Amino acid sequence: MSEKTYLQAISDGLREEMRRDHRVFILGEDVGVYGGAFKVTLGLQEEFGPWRVLDMPLSETAIMGGATGAAMMGLRPVAEMQFADFVSCAWDHLITVAAKQRWRVGTPVPIVLRLPSGGGFSGGPFHSQNPESSFAHIPGLKCVCPATPEDAKGLITAAIEDPNPVLFFEHKHLYRRIKGEVPDERYVTPIGKARIHAEGDDLTVVTWGAMVYTAGEAAKAVDASVEIVDLRTIMPWDKEAVLDSVRKTSKVLVLHEDTRTGGFGGEIAATIAEEAFEDLDAPVKRLAAPDCPVPFSPVLEKAYIPQVDDVVRALKELIEY
Amino acid sequence: MAIARVAEPSGSLQEVKEGGLDREDLLQIYRNMLITRGVEERGHILYRQGKIPGSFYTGRGNEASSVGVAMAMGTDDVGTPLHRDMGVHITRGVEPWRIFAQYMGRADGPTHGRDGNVHMADMNLGLVAMVSHLPAMLPVAVGCALAFRIREEKRVAVAWSGEGAMARGDAHEGMNFAGVRQLPVVFICDNNQWAYSTPTHLEYAVEHLADRAAAYGFEGVVVDGTDVLAVYREAKRAIEKARDGGGPTLIENQTLRMEGHAVHDDAFYVPKELFERWAERDPIERYRTWLHTNAELTDDEQDEITGYVKKLLNDSLQRADESPQPDPDTLLDGVYATPEDLDTPHHK
Amino acid sequence: MATGTAVDVVMPQMGVSVSEGTVTKWNKQVGDSIEADETLLEISTDKVDTEVPSPASGIVSEILVQEGETVDVGTVLARIGDEVGAAAPAAPAPEPAPEEPESAATEVAEPVVAEPTAQPAAPSENGKSFVSPVVARIASEHGIDPSQVPGSGSGGRVTKKDIQAFIESGEPASTKASEVVAPPPAAAAPPAAGQVTQAPEATAQVGEALEPMSAMRRGIADHMRKSLDTSAHVTSAIEVDMSKVVAIRAKLKKEYESAYGVNPTYLAFIARATVETLRDYPWVNGELRGDKIVTKSFVNLGFAVELVDGKGLIVPVVKNAETLNLLGMAKAIADIAKRARDKQLTPNDVSGGSFTITNPGGYGTFHGTPVISQPQAGILGTYAIVKRPWVITDDNGADAIAIRSIMNLTLTYDHRLVDGALAGRFLRDLRARLQTWGESDY
Repeated sequence: MSEKTYLQAISDGLREEMRRDHRVFILGEDVGVYGGAFKVTLGLQEEFGPWRVLDMPLSETAIMGGATGAAMMGLRPVAEMQFADFVSCAWDHLITVAAKQRWRVGTPVPIVLRLPSGGGFSGGPFHSQNPESSFAHIPGLKCVCPATPEDAKGLITAAIEDPNPVLFFEHKHLYRRIKGEVPDERYVTPIGKARIHAEGDDLTVVTWGAMVYTAGEAAKAVDASVEIVDLRTIMPWDKEAVLDSVRKTSKVLVLHEDTRTGGFGGEIAATIAEEAFEDLDAPVKRLAAPDCPVPFSPVLEKAYIPQVDDVVRALKELIEY
Repeated sequence: MAIARVAEPSGSLQEVKEGGLDREDLLQIYRNMLITRGVEERGHILYRQGKIPGSFYTGRGNEASSVGVAMAMGTDDVGTPLHRDMGVHITRGVEPWRIFAQYMGRADGPTHGRDGNVHMADMNLGLVAMVSHLPAMLPVAVGCALAFRIREEKRVAVAWSGEGAMARGDAHEGMNFAGVRQLPVVFICDNNQWAYSTPTHLEYAVEHLADRAAAYGFEGVVVDGTDVLAVYREAKRAIEKARDGGGPTLIENQTLRMEGHAVHDDAFYVPKELFERWAERDPIERYRTWLHTNAELTDDEQDEITGYVKKLLNDSLQRADESPQPDPDTLLDGVYATPEDLDTPHHK
Repeated sequence: MATGTAVDVVMPQMGVSVSEGTVTKWNKQVGDSIEADETLLEISTDKVDTEVPSPASGIVSEILVQEGETVDVGTVLARIGDEVGAAAPAAPAPEPAPEEPESAATEVAEPVVAEPTAQPAAPSENGKSFVSPVVARIASEHGIDPSQVPGSGSGGRVTKKDIQAFIESGEPASTKASEVVAPPPAAAAPPAAGQVTQAPEATAQVGEALEPMSAMRRGIADHMRKSLDTSAHVTSAIEVDMSKVVAIRAKLKKEYESAYGVNPTYLAFIARATVETLRDYPWVNGELRGDKIVTKSFVNLGFAVELVDGKGLIVPVVKNAETLNLLGMAKAIADIAKRARDKQLTPNDVSGGSFTITNPGGYGTFHGTPVISQPQAGILGTYAIVKRPWVITDDNGADAIAIRSIMNLTLTYDHRLVDGALAGRFLRDLRARLQTWGESDY
């Protein structure tokens, strides 16, 4: 074990897999000499050469389409969108080709698509989004959203190993802010398994990504025993872990940084209502960003992204209910 | 101002033999063109008999272009043929009965009823299944070529598009990237002059689409797409060049879509004289004449080939008709791949 | 001979969005022969006009759609067979299959949409009235009236913790409710048993008192109503001479109590005999499920038990009663009765019954018409054993009047599944078992 940043953990996972499996290669904008916009791939081109760490033209479609073709030919591409927001330019290849090819014609498409996502640093409407729910809705795609350095490395390894297109949402605000103990050896964090970030008996917070930490701080500020379920994977999501916790506490807050309407929290809330109705002691509560684009001004962005105070308020409402 | 090279028409038997085709190859091309047209004609009948759900698309007039290119591909090469390219599937060895089963949505079609029409492929034959968003297949083919380049394999990817698809951004992104990296990919543009009802002057402003190749840093060639041997010669040249590290080529095969966009479309917007003019250059008739004149095709040989094709299609139809309907209980199978799915030669 | 190989010619779908087509011309008439792929007719759609080739070789045996008619895609237009009029050889132009009346689609009545009842999403001033799903469930499982639990939630709402603390503190469930003012609208979440009829808000008139319905009361009310709405209830009764059972029980009682600590009640005898009899009458132990009759290789025997406070009823089930002898049955009944009194029954204990016995005879009643516990097919009522003058036939064949212990039994059955004669035979056999109970019968 050694202490690593979230960013370093992803980088280590990539390097380990590239050393281990010659089929793994990286393609994206500025990923080579420059080491990526966030330096996640720094040093990899030096070690693996220009044909395993490809600096791509400014062409998200070519990146995603190219990764799809290469994956069908037996390689294990790890594609990077410089910002998750730019995945809109690659939508067609991800959704029309990669997601459906296994089901349509039996051809698996093992791709990892890295998506630096999330806000908190005035990135504005095009550098701050959390588009996971759009992709969780597409049959054939998997979506992972690690919160800790340990999970970041374990899930990037799992994603590369997985025979499906896996979208790896790495939260930019966690890159250097979050440090944690990371095993030095290779390990796989299973896709589809949640992690109990904090155990508690009085109420449950279901969340993922950077909001895990917001929930953690809020939990300290209320006089109740709060269980925090870090989903880690949005698709497939760990329904049993959520229902188990809800059955224990009977009160639940679903929290995410993505916007509210159509956000993945709605799916979670609906499932709880369907499958744990008779265990509920309060309405399932959602806390999410409001239904507008991500603003640029720090004042506006603070009003947009759920803050610790907002979570505290929501927890208190549930406690007092 | 034309930039692309305009290919010569096909020449004598001697020239053709020097290009790598023996007499059996020549007869095989003829057979494949007949099967291609026969499959689509039978499909038309099946459709009008109510046996094919959805819509139905054919590639009448495109037989030389599709068969000619496919004949030029190597066994280990791959391609992404579209819905006018039945000749590619036939030439690569897809059995007609499976195509009929696919048309009818049966369990034995390559997609087992999950997709229809020519939305099918067999990876074991080097074919990647198309999607309806046609130009999306260009970057995919480029990705296949990228894999070959990374692994330093002597394989080539062939990407098909129509002149309509060339108007979209992913065609540009795919060709630009292929040019930048000089990847082993050949772009075939079947310019059949009509994108549904839209004529070429509303799709592009250059003289030839192949002129665009220069902008991506590779060669463009304009070919008469009704001349199967000219198509073969140019495709072979481009494929072998790509195999030898010479980078991509854009080949524009000029044809006319001899039917509507799909079976429901009577193509009223295409001038009648245009159909008449191109009917005189029917690729199969042209090639038959060439075989008679240059390769001593006898009436007996011709009857034998016609009889073979007819029997093949009849048997195929019957076999396809016996194929069961797909089982609704299997609907959710394979939405996600399992590790075992990767246990194929492609994923080693 | 009607041919089984007639091939249908259908209206093809000429394009994805095309839903109908018009027959413009028949190129063949009934009786004409035709080759496969030869043009049979011409059609016109809003996208294109085309010829329809025949799907088979043979004789045009039927033409079902005439020129000028417009029909949906997929409609059978004609049949190609071995001979004319595959279906009706004599008729040159057979009647087309009756179509659904055109008006069918338009005559469908608008569904009646009930006015939505405003239900508070969260407790407000009268928050005590709102019972959360988990509280409703726990209350139902423990036979507790949630309105009797002190509430600490918003607006005095009973929280899950409140009701758990209430149970742990051992508060009796029978605390008398005595709210005289009008209770709030019945907005409580329904108990697990099913829907609750929404009643209009009740107000107390002079001299009246109101008390809220417990969740259990609501559950019983709903289930009873639903059962009567579901089954065709019919009751048959029979008189049983229990003298032998009375005598044997008197002998066994001491032995059972000293050796096993269990009382061999009359109910245990009746239950034992009932299980044996049910084996011969699987429908009485069965149920109707959809359009199927379900029979069971087991007897899960329910016993209606009154709660101590007289305010409710619970039906614990002895599972696999067919495996129990008399002693086992007596023990099982004693066990569920005790656990019902101690409120120790689990949801599993009160579900899954295949037949039920109710025993209202303890108060001396001699007849009743109990309501079937759904989805079962029958319920046996047992009534008071009373000494009555009874005509018996002695060993010499002479009639005499004797004093005998007589009990009435009723079988209330679902006439949808069980007919009167079957019920009569069931009661006859049950009576025979009880009247001829021998000392070695267990």
